[in-house]
Amino acid sequence: MTQRITINPITRLEGHGKIEIFLDEQGEVKDAFWQVVELRGFEKFCVGRPAEEMTRIAPNICGVCPSAHHMAATKALDALYGVTPTPTARLLRELEFNAFMIEDHYIHFFFLAAPDFIVGPDAPLAERNILGVIGRVGKEIGKQVIDIRKRNRDIIRHLFTKAPHPEGGLPGGVPRGIAEEERRDLMATADDSVAFALFALDLFKKEVLGQKALKDLILSEAYTLRTYAMALVDEDDHVAFYDGMVKVIAPDGKEFVRFHPEDYLDHIAEWVEPWTYIKFCYLKQLGWKGLKEGDDTSLYQVAPLARLNVASGMATPLAQKEYEIFFETLGERPATHTLAMHWARLICALQAAERNQIIVRDPLLTSRDTRNMNLRLMRKGVGCVEAPRGTLIHHYETDDRGILTRVNLIVATQNNAGAICLAVKKAARAFVRGPEVKEGFLNRVEMAFRAYDPCLACATHALPGRIPFVVTLRGPSGDVVRTLRHD
Amino acid sequence: MGYEPKLVCFSCKFGWGYLKDPGDLEAGASLSTPVECSGRLDALHLLRAFKEGADGVLILACEEGHCHFQEGNFRTLKMLYLLQDVLSAHGIEKERVRMEFSRDPEGTSIPDRLARMRASLSALGPLNRTFL
Amino acid sequence: MAEKPKIAICWLGACGGCDEAVVDLNEGLLDVVEAVSIELWPVAMDFKYDHLVAFETDEIAVGLVSGHVRNSEHAEVARLLRDRCRLIIALGACACFGGTPGLANLVPREEILDAIYRKAPSVVNPEGTIPQAETPWEGETLRLPAFLDHVYALNQVVDVDYYIPGCPPPPELIQNGVRAVLTEDLPPKGSTLAPRTALCETCPRNKTKPMRFEIHGAIRRIHEVEADPETCFLADGILCMGPATRTGCGETCIRTNTPCRGCFGPVPGVADPGSRFISSLAALLKVGTTGDPKAIMASIGDPVGYLYRFTHPISTLGARRLTEASEETP
Repeated sequence: MTQRITINPITRLEGHGKIEIFLDEQGEVKDAFWQVVELRGFEKFCVGRPAEEMTRIAPNICGVCPSAHHMAATKALDALYGVTPTPTARLLRELEFNAFMIEDHYIHFFFLAAPDFIVGPDAPLAERNILGVIGRVGKEIGKQVIDIRKRNRDIIRHLFTKAPHPEGGLPGGVPRGIAEEERRDLMATADDSVAFALFALDLFKKEVLGQKALKDLILSEAYTLRTYAMALVDEDDHVAFYDGMVKVIAPDGKEFVRFHPEDYLDHIAEWVEPWTYIKFCYLKQLGWKGLKEGDDTSLYQVAPLARLNVASGMATPLAQKEYEIFFETLGERPATHTLAMHWARLICALQAAERNQIIVRDPLLTSRDTRNMNLRLMRKGVGCVEAPRGTLIHHYETDDRGILTRVNLIVATQNNAGAICLAVKKAARAFVRGPEVKEGFLNRVEMAFRAYDPCLACATHALPGRIPFVVTLRGPSGDVVRTLRHD
Repeated sequence: MGYEPKLVCFSCKFGWGYLKDPGDLEAGASLSTPVECSGRLDALHLLRAFKEGADGVLILACEEGHCHFQEGNFRTLKMLYLLQDVLSAHGIEKERVRMEFSRDPEGTSIPDRLARMRASLSALGPLNRTFL
Repeated sequence: MAEKPKIAICWLGACGGCDEAVVDLNEGLLDVVEAVSIELWPVAMDFKYDHLVAFETDEIAVGLVSGHVRNSEHAEVARLLRDRCRLIIALGACACFGGTPGLANLVPREEILDAIYRKAPSVVNPEGTIPQAETPWEGETLRLPAFLDHVYALNQVVDVDYYIPGCPPPPELIQNGVRAVLTEDLPPKGSTLAPRTALCETCPRNKTKPMRFEIHGAIRRIHEVEADPETCFLADGILCMGPATRTGCGETCIRTNTPCRGCFGPVPGVADPGSRFISSLAALLKVGTTGDPKAIMASIGDPVGYLYRFTHPISTLGARRLTEASEETP
């Protein structure tokens, strides 16, 4: 008799999903499925919309990382209209994108992830949340987290309307600029963000790495995964967020391929499984090899850990120092410990903060030259950014009026879909043993996906409508009695 | 395959059939509504007509330059151009809304116009209600 | 000590932006959690659905529900919340009106399935697999929620007490709404907890609206022009949904030199904001004897997408109620 455990809904992430764990008669985990249960339809219902409206609509894909979609859309419009943004526009976009990286990585770390570490993976369910975290670290620190998030979101709001739904990016430019008198506040936010980033890393080292049980958890075999890795890198092969080339490394760390985002279709393919709405990205040239890790996989991971593994360093000095400590501590390259993603995330936030410290001091920041009006409709455009949750691609095609005829999206978490399934399965095998399963152990299974900071509204922008189904009825002996189809 | 198209007709009281009995205007349409100027029509009236079962709508308006309210007829024409796009997006063919500009105080041409509209609706078939 | 009132914050077919707006209460959030006991908030807390099921009818003071209803699980959770909560507040444009994904109501289901899982240029799917409501696996069944054939606003599925519109609503509006509930200082049931006038009334650019409002020539698209940061968009020939949209957002888009797209939904008394705007726009367009109305109308590249960006599910043509029958997969 198989025992079935359902975790529904999965919590402390963006989106809707569940985990099904099946145990055999001995109480061992036979298999575990991470199922994404939601769908949207953006790629389809955006057809017929004017392309420039995508910077208004695409942010609705996800309210936690809307700035990522907004920026990918804006860059896709640049390509669609064959236009380069003005230097000031580029600075403003980067400023906003870095501010977004900072606040988004911190909302993940403090609100979604920290409860498992600072309150504890086995702590009572009702305490495992931001309030529990504030209870442990104190209201003062809680207020600092709130404050640094607010101030970075103020930058998003100022440049692109609203923080949970930025909009208005234009091909070749941005809708508004910054006045010189606004620079001082921006400098304060940037400088305080660097200080906070260093504090957050110290907190992690003290409260997480400094606690033996938590450090052991991070380094445990239960939370490791070996696959390819993908991220954007700049011309110095350093971690990049706003723009770069797509670089992929193999499980052994060697460079596998490096390509311009507009060639993504040659390298990235999506696979469909009937039990989940998310499509699984994999390396096209290797072909689909199923959900497995190791040297023979075609799966790859993205986002913080992948970024640090893929690049040869960070683009800013303080982050670079942390990068070196990171790999020294973990003792391997590429690092395979999935929970180390939380640490890598904090290092990425530091780089974003350091970059903004430079940007806010750039004399061109407050120029009025915010629009390049030399638009030339190319009818196709691909925009790519390194979103907080990984490499994100928007691909638009239009008719000769600039009305969309096709939209294709490769969304950050999709790149991780295969890895997340494997990570969940592995954690289930390590921690779940029937027939009595403590709630804290189910939480440890959820911790496997939380490290990836998944965004499921993003990942399932697709929408199938009514689903055809197959039902197989089996008799007591297991023989198929009847098969019902509805197509 | 016979179906009886449900036709809604809006006609301007100032230009159409005002010398006739209202009852005579009603034959040939499932619903016939005289209005104080075609400009009185709001997009909402047309959308509701389709939502509530119409297969087509005929609007009888006054000639250009002869609107009793200056340019009510013209405003409705502009509205119609916009509305046709919305209707198309819902699978409602543009031909299902027609606006005719003339004046006919006796209303003698009305039965013919209604018949012609009904014929074109018959050719189009019943309204596809998938998106409604 | 009196027990703190219970609240549930839940998302259906949502993007998470309304939850972020709640967190944007910033320090105000700390005050809220002092005053209430949050019993469900999947983005931030670990309570599962069974925790919600265990409550008695009407035991929870208020449910803040974001997202439209797109699948059977959304409908189920909406009904569960309706039973367990004394008040249900539709939070955000998706819950209030259906939201931007409501535009999917204009595409046949089969086409969508095909496009996403078979025809997308990056998809490799030799067997033409499509996600299934039920997938057999070693004698077990893996299930996914059944997809409804339509996007529904929340009040087309359950009775809604109050509405807080916006994409997302500004945090102040959410905070005021929650405060009104807790102090029992609420307007009549069915009210929208936002101002009652159109955006134009509060728009910082309304002084540049001419006495005789006319748009001459073609409608201009936002990327084709360098919009003047102080002039009424419509007066400049740029499409802005302000006249047909309720105010209350703080005009954040307008102040960022970006025209309104209608996320606060219709003004009171108007059921279909799109049709209201069609009539207004038609009246505004000054074509004259030399202009060609058809060409000018055609310069609006996507009427249905502008008019019903957030509101298709509550529009005249699009509105439906979710009945048990429409949930069955025949």
